[in-house]
Amino acid sequence: MKSSRMLIFILTSILVWIVAACVPDNQNKSEDSVKFQQYYVEGERLYKVYCSNCHQSDGSGLGRLYPPLVRSDFMQKNLAEVICLIKYGRKGELWVNGVMYNQPMKGNPGLTELEVAEIATYIYNSWGNVHDRVEVAEASSILAACPDR
Amino acid sequence: MLDTRNQTLIIRINKLRQYQATSINRLLLCTLTTLFLLSCQMNEKPLPIFGEREVVGTDTVYHTIAPFAFVDQDSSLVTNETFKDNIYVADFFFTSCRTICPIMKTQMLRVYNATAEMPDVKILSHTIDPEYDTVALLHDFANRLGAESNRWHFVTGVKDSIYKIAQTSYFATAMEDKSEPDGFIHSGAFLLLDKQQRIRGKYDGTKEEDVNRLIIDIKRLRRDEK
Repeated sequence: MKSSRMLIFILTSILVWIVAACVPDNQNKSEDSVKFQQYYVEGERLYKVYCSNCHQSDGSGLGRLYPPLVRSDFMQKNLAEVICLIKYGRKGELWVNGVMYNQPMKGNPGLTELEVAEIATYIYNSWGNVHDRVEVAEASSILAACPDR
Repeated sequence: MLDTRNQTLIIRINKLRQYQATSINRLLLCTLTTLFLLSCQMNEKPLPIFGEREVVGTDTVYHTIAPFAFVDQDSSLVTNETFKDNIYVADFFFTSCRTICPIMKTQMLRVYNATAEMPDVKILSHTIDPEYDTVALLHDFANRLGAESNRWHFVTGVKDSIYKIAQTSYFATAMEDKSEPDGFIHSGAFLLLDKQQRIRGKYDGTKEEDVNRLIIDIKRLRRDEK
């Protein structure tokens, strides 16, 4: 009895040690999550100004006019295209979750690269969507290569 | 043994009676409250009638919507006759607008769904950008919104006629303004019209609470006009 308790204690200790070793450097992590929070909060504010009129504040879209951002397969597959259309707009057919949308979206050319990254971070991490933070560097290299600039 | 059983039974019956008494009391209270509320509703003032009025002899002549003729998403002619014996809600918008119009359409869709079972209630949405919003475009727009043309007319017409009727008949703002981001200036108002085409209510079509009030007023107007 005593020896089995000892064994459990030893095993638990080893497990705790392994888990602790696997967690990445704490300081890096907290710095990263602060950055994420900053992007997310600012992204939410910008979303309400530039996007929510059509796509709704809960990202549900409207009928077959404005596509939803909630669990959107188009968004999951096309990060670069989404980043481009936030700034430069988009025309023509667009398929989201098996439904065709065709309402032209005007661009928001006044948005900075950082603001586009913040909006992208917000929409890619809301309403059940999970994604890493979209870095301003990533947004800026994608924006530089958009076809309809 | 049997006695104690009987006693418990009697106690139980008494409790049941007490319970019945309280539930009857509650029922009475509920009925009285409902009656009180109903009486309040009966004494409710009728909806106001907007605009100037004239007294001609013994009759009062109220402000009504001037004659109009527009074309809807099915290329059908829409005139004052279309809304004969109907209550309707009117607004002004354009499809390429991304400021207040999408919010107005979200809210108007709520009105549309709330009045689905009311055959005498219709909706009239005027485009203020008739050059861009053609019949075909309005047809697609309505279709994608999920609106049926016999209940919700999206109309286009001569630009000046639309602006004039907006300003002089519906008391709503609608005009071109190149300094605006989308090129137009217009109010987000929803207007409630009775069966005589008199304005009976004005609501902010971008505010959910205002549109809740509109939906209640439509029901009131239907009761009053029966």
